[in-house]
Order: sequence, then structure tokens, then C-alpha cells
Amino acid sequence: MEGIEGPRIGLHVCRGNWSRDESVLLSGDYAPLTNAFSAMKVDQFVLEHSTPRAGEIDIVGRALGDREIGLGVVNPRTAIVETPDEIVRRVEEALPFFAPERIFLNPDCGFGCFANRCVNDADTAAAKTRSMAEAARILRSRHG
Amino acid sequence: MFEVTQVGSWPRSRELLAALRRKQSGAIGAVEFDAVAKPEIAACVRSQVDAGADLIVDGEIGRDSFYSFVTEKLDGTKLMSLAEMLDTVEDKASFEEMLATLDVPASAIKNPTCVGRLKRREPLTIGELHHLRTLTDKPVKITLPGPYLLTRSMWVGQFSKAGYESKLEMGEDVVRILREELKELAAAGCEFVQFDEPVLTEIVMSDENDRRTFM
Repeated sequence: MEGIEGPRIGLHVCRGNWSRDESVLLSGDYAPLTNAFSAMKVDQFVLEHSTPRAGEIDIVGRALGDREIGLGVVNPRTAIVETPDEIVRRVEEALPFFAPERIFLNPDCGFGCFANRCVNDADTAAAKTRSMAEAARILRSRHG
Repeated sequence: MFEVTQVGSWPRSRELLAALRRKQSGAIGAVEFDAVAKPEIAACVRSQVDAGADLIVDGEIGRDSFYSFVTEKLDGTKLMSLAEMLDTVEDKASFEEMLATLDVPASAIKNPTCVGRLKRREPLTIGELHHLRTLTDKPVKITLPGPYLLTRSMWVGQFSKAGYESKLEMGEDVVRILREELKELAAAGCEFVQFDEPVLTEIVMSDENDRRTFM
């Protein structure tokens, strides 16, 4: 990143997104990685937060509160669409650690990382995005 | 505040997947593939804008996967299915067992294997950025595979030694290529560049760090 100005630089680290079977994906919080994250010249960490596999937000919150967080608030692998209220609750868990202007809302990962192993369909991806946008409106009115 | 965006990829249609297979087999070229991919990228962008997203992605619709697509842009690479790579693995039984346990289909997931000196034949993502700009006025995010993921997946000793003495030496070229790309994205005014490093969790969360996984 040295000497390159302009774009916001993000780093996305997840625990796997190739299967809808949650039990085969990796599990564990980000604690073993936060020291390495702190040392990186990265503006935003784009991390999972929508499943219990991701661990608690205070672990990344305490270590990385001076950065932006791209908070994973919907599961890209499920057919059930998270409600705006559920998403608002997930985001508000991060508010003790990250100022509102440092929080972005995104899914835990892509909706179809591998062309031949899509983990979702386009209608569900759109519906989950609508839910995130509605949650963002609620959050801006409450915390803006 | 509370900007809504994606991590990168969007589901692809059956037609797109069929076109991708035909492109990979050489039955059609980039022009014919783009004729299928471009309307689908436009639909993906429209979905995000209509849903109220703030930062838009192209959905990686034209990519084989978020990292393997580099074989289309880099000299010294070859797209290999995991089934093809099985021949290179010393302990085939445990590699197959790992794929089965992790629910990874060996034929569907492909690896960008290094088979010679790496050179950027064309930019990795500048084309995606320019196309995205024609579809929306909103700020955009471009995703790039991170240097660790690329170095780890691209190095397959028996092929990669044709270009490099060691994984470390190849990794230096990977970093150089990604820096060139980032500089060009910055010069083109890209608002957000995201590097993907999913395998970092594998290092700290798996007991078998040394094993070759599918990424």
C-alpha cells in the first residue's frame, strides 16, 4: 500500500463460503488475527458478523476501533432473508466500538464466489440487500 | 455512515455459467462471452441500485472465481480444476478426503496455477472498473485477490518451478503485479479496493496448516 493514495483500501477475511453446510466451514473468532490486522495499512476490515461462527464483535472492536469495519450482517448462504430489525441489532452491537461513520453494512461474504458453486440466487441476494438498506435508514435516523 | 455494499460476488445465471464453460473450453471467445455477461452485470448493478445500496460492485459475474480469474490476465498461469491438480498431490487419498469432508466439488473449483514467469498481459480489473462506470454514477468497489491467497494457491511446485526457484520468489512478483494494479485503480479514481484473504483464517483456525487445501 506504500505510496498509493486515493482509494479506500479494504481487507476481507472470512471463514469459507464454498458450502451451505455451516458445519464444514471454519469456526472461531478473529482474536488470533487482530495483531496482524492492526499492523496492516488498511482502512477497512470486511469481516463476518452474521453467524455465531464469527465470534463476538468486542474482539475486533477493541483491537480495530480506529479503523472502519465492513460488518457482515447477512448470511450469503441462506434462503431466509434477515429482517431490517435483526440487522439493526447486529450493527448496534458494534456501536460501542466503532463510530457510525466507520461502519459499513455488507454480507459476510459474496453471494457466489465460485461460478460453479453459487451459494445463493439473485432474488435472495437482492432481498438481503434491500433489508440492509432499510436497516441503514433506521440506523441513520437513530444514530445520525 | 452505515453505507451498504457487497463483499463482491453475485449469483450467476445458468446461461452465464454455460457461456463461461464454453469460453473455458475455447468454443467461444471473449466477445461472445461478453455478449452474455454484460446484460447480466447490468442486471446485477440495477438490483443493487434499486435495493438502495451505496457502493456498487459488478458482481464478479465475468470471473471464474474471485481469484482464479487472474489466469485470463496473467502470462505464466493456467486454470486447473482440482481434479487435474490431484495428480500433483503426493497424498492423494487425504487430499480427496479433505475435499469430501469440506464439501468441495473437485471438478467445479479451479486453481490459478503458476506455470512460468508471471507477467500482466492486461490489467486484472481496470476493465471491470470502466464497465461498471458506464452502468452507475454511484461509488464502486473493486475486489482483488490478496497477495497471500494468490501466492499460496498459485504455487504448485512441479509446475511453478518452470518459472521460479521458490514460492517466495514467485510471491514477490505477485506483490509487484498487485501493486501495479492498485496504482492503476487509484489513478482511475476507484473509490474502494478490497483485497480478499479468506485463507488467513485457515492458518489460525485449522490444525493442519501445512496441508494443501483447495485454495
